[in-house]
Amino acid sequence: MIELSHVSKRFDTEIAVDDISLRVPKGKFCALVGTSGCGKSTTLRMINRLIEHSGGEIILDGQAIEAYDPVKLRRRIGYVIQHTGLFPHWRVARNIGLVPRLLKWPAAEVQARVEELMGLLGLPVGEFGHKYPHQLSGGQAQRVGVARALAADPDILLMDEPFGALDPITREKLQDELAKLQARMQKTVLFVTHDMDEALKLADHLVVMRDGRIVQQGTPLALLQHPADPFVESLLGGLERGLKQAALTRVRDHMTSMGPTLPAQSRIPADFSLRQALSMMLRDHSDRLTVVDQHDVPIGELTLRRIIKEAQFDRGSSRE
Amino acid sequence: MSDQLSVMQSRQQAPMWLWPMLWGALLLISVMGMPYAEALFRWIEPNARQVIYTRAEFYVLLGRHLLVVGVAAAVTIVVGVLAGIAVTRERGHDFLPLVGQLASLGQTFPPVAVLALAVPVLGFGTLPIMVALMLYGLLPIVRNTLTGLQEVDADIKMASHAMGMTPTQTLRQVELPLAAPVILAGIRTSVTINIATAALGATMGASNLGDPIIAGIVNGNMAYVVQGALTIALLALTVDSLFELLQRKLRSRLSTS
Repeated sequence: MIELSHVSKRFDTEIAVDDISLRVPKGKFCALVGTSGCGKSTTLRMINRLIEHSGGEIILDGQAIEAYDPVKLRRRIGYVIQHTGLFPHWRVARNIGLVPRLLKWPAAEVQARVEELMGLLGLPVGEFGHKYPHQLSGGQAQRVGVARALAADPDILLMDEPFGALDPITREKLQDELAKLQARMQKTVLFVTHDMDEALKLADHLVVMRDGRIVQQGTPLALLQHPADPFVESLLGGLERGLKQAALTRVRDHMTSMGPTLPAQSRIPADFSLRQALSMMLRDHSDRLTVVDQHDVPIGELTLRRIIKEAQFDRGSSRE
Repeated sequence: MSDQLSVMQSRQQAPMWLWPMLWGALLLISVMGMPYAEALFRWIEPNARQVIYTRAEFYVLLGRHLLVVGVAAAVTIVVGVLAGIAVTRERGHDFLPLVGQLASLGQTFPPVAVLALAVPVLGFGTLPIMVALMLYGLLPIVRNTLTGLQEVDADIKMASHAMGMTPTQTLRQVELPLAAPVILAGIRTSVTINIATAALGATMGASNLGDPIIAGIVNGNMAYVVQGALTIALLALTVDSLFELLQRKLRSRLSTS
């Protein structure tokens, strides 16, 4: 668990981070979102003490971070940065095994762990283990960066715009893989990004920062429904907000049981989002979809009227 | 572009040891075979009583030359690299401009002047030239150590700290290996220049490959001058090509390009 209470950071006269408090419970994914220079990266680096905070308290697993030895603390925290920071003179396998070796794991265990992680991230050891970082594509290099951060199986993972330098397709792919990894490993993640879509897609908890302060925090859905001010609203995409909200809602949660009428032609899997459902309706000129399970067996239906009503209902219920 | 490519290819095809071996062999021939080349030098100085420098054997002169340059280089490398490391650490950062300026000062000071000033203190012989070489050779090493260490990508250094490497581990496993090619280039410049500069020591009683040159100038015997200059040039080329070899080995091991 990561807990920040009233944390601030001053550089000489400038205040980079101003009295922020947030909590990332164990196993949760928290995204820090904001425009550049808002203090989000500084916040991240204060947690592994690359930057010492000047006020407030940062508590990891119930203990203030000052109580930890900085070097030992960092070996317990995974860290991923935008430009990977891989060592160019080390091969991929050696880069990944860095922290386990610092922790003096036996060589065979390091080797086994490196192979396991490379398999997990879709980089077969035989093909990539002996390559140098400059021989990798951007996406591959960042997978290595993630593998290196996970190598010693840390409970906490800090990620500083890890996918910011990748092309949109690779970025989306890595986001999907990260989401899958997270579902499986349940790390406590603090993820910095300026990309709201990325944050909405990955995070359990969203923190919006501006000028060193937290403007708003909450679940993605809560922020979409009630942005605190025009700044948060613009970050959330203004008019696109409705669609983004729909993207966070599953078809499964809004379908009705099959009516007496004939099932609609268009079929949609139950774990798709309402956004995808809307898109399908637009494409097929239909206001009704048949919802199917993973075996393509119809289990219910979804109507346009229902989607719109549900959206209103959500607004009403969350105001209470 | 295609020219560059073909040059690179031909370089890769040439065996790495070719140049050092070639220059080394020529150096050996010239050192051991000087007495047998009397006809050649007679042609340069037809009227001189003697055309081959015989006051000392050339291999002895070569040995002394190497010793002076070697000791000076060892000291400059240790001092220069350590100074470069010290002022790029957080604690030594305040001294960075000072060390840079001091090293530059060492090179702007002409070696001849250093010799002249050192003799009254250190006496005649090998010591003054050694001091002069150390001062003169320091700049390229300090400057390249600074450049090499400062050029290491900030993201890479941050990552190494963030992964939990200690400052010493970062320096030894990350910074120095990445800066090594640049540092080695500085050492190469320093040593190669000093091989030539060491000859000046002969004016102050240091016996080395500068002796035949000075004797030649004093006696108006060009043959002596050529013998000294030729041997020094071959020594410089041999050492320089050895550094080239070392740099290429280092580069292929790092293979960061």
